[in-house]
Amino acid sequence: MNVNANDNELMAQVGAGQVQKLAVLFERHHRGLFRYFVSLNRNREASEDLVQDVFFRMLRYRASYDPKQSFTAWMYQIARNANVDQTQKRRGEVIGIDEFAERRADAAPGPEESAARGQDLTLLRQALDRLPPDKRELLVLSRFEGIKHEELARILNCEVGTVKVRVYRAMRALEQAYTALIGEKTA
Amino acid sequence: MNCEEAKLDLPEYLSHSLTEARELEFAAHIAGCEACRAETERLGTLWKGLALLPGMMAAPGDNVRERFYESLAAYKHGMASARPSWREKLAAFWPAVAFAMLAVGVGIGYMVRPGAAPQANGSEVAQLRGEVSSMRQMVALSLMQQQSAGERLRGVSWAYRAAPSDTEVLSALLETVNNDASVNVRMAAVDALHTFGSSPVTRTAIVQSIPKQTSPLVQIALIDLLVDLKAAEMATELRKLAADASLDAGVRERATWAIGRLVQ
Repeated sequence: MNVNANDNELMAQVGAGQVQKLAVLFERHHRGLFRYFVSLNRNREASEDLVQDVFFRMLRYRASYDPKQSFTAWMYQIARNANVDQTQKRRGEVIGIDEFAERRADAAPGPEESAARGQDLTLLRQALDRLPPDKRELLVLSRFEGIKHEELARILNCEVGTVKVRVYRAMRALEQAYTALIGEKTA
Repeated sequence: MNCEEAKLDLPEYLSHSLTEARELEFAAHIAGCEACRAETERLGTLWKGLALLPGMMAAPGDNVRERFYESLAAYKHGMASARPSWREKLAAFWPAVAFAMLAVGVGIGYMVRPGAAPQANGSEVAQLRGEVSSMRQMVALSLMQQQSAGERLRGVSWAYRAAPSDTEVLSALLETVNNDASVNVRMAAVDALHTFGSSPVTRTAIVQSIPKQTSPLVQIALIDLLVDLKAAEMATELRKLAADASLDAGVRERATWAIGRLVQ
């Protein structure tokens, strides 16, 4: 489903004054934005505030949205800026709430999912946590949110070729972190 | 396709976003290259696992949706009222304009936080902070004038964000304490007055408000506030209240108790 075309139209309508259309975009994207933020800062409350902030900024800058521009790229550019601002504000604070904590009980392996697989996923998310924020961000955007390299390039303000290199390197870093964790468990 | 090209295409191969021709090239390469095939399998396992992690993550709370819709409604309200001529409408419809400015204000608030705008000079930041402060004031004032008691309660909660020196918000809170139709709103406004409690004007206004109140609950809350503020200078006024037979017996008793607390 090509939701981006619709998203672009909706945001253009918001920009033209139909601000109620932002509600549709909110329903489509607030969970993804929350996942993005919580993956980066591991702080639930701050992430919820950031989601609000992104939609406030969309209202504020709605007139500057170019309908020819990808809405997703524009939204995540706003999200990145909001996160940078928030990080600067919170610098020095002790944060690090486990973003997976609330769902951990739910995430226990079901009948169809082996205990070993559950353990693998736990290790995988620990490996993801160990990555530097820029690599984690790339994997969250490309894998959690399914953003293509062309849009990632717009979000990150770089060439598509650079995105390819960076995503590959992030995958390798994840593999190394994952392997190291397995080594630590078996040592 | 060589190994280096295959590595760069690997994530897109795993997410099935290569063109068909490119995917065929990739498949042909790993068919003949054991190292790249092994790497594709290893990273492919992790790639599949990554897709399952969002399901393990916490979801945003319902308050996120509530806050968004409240803000959006306020922004729409503000737009509708401000559209013809915001300067003219400000006088008549400024509460609605304040709603609109809330959204802008919060945005600016984020922009002007310490360290958030290194490109701005000190005076610009100070000016923007002043604007944000002014917007908070307008939001509080406008909400406190709404017909809905719920909206007025929200306005009172915004008053906590005002500076203790903000006389307009103080004045609006006192007006609410003295005249609001809802006891709940009046009680909330009494609590909010604590922020402004260091001012002699506030303390005097609190004690003057007590005999005007029709609700003993609010009267007792005002007396308790004076105790919280350690307003010993109001003991004389409290003695008058304690002796005022027109007041509820519970209120007079509380006034006597307060005098004992303040004059020790």
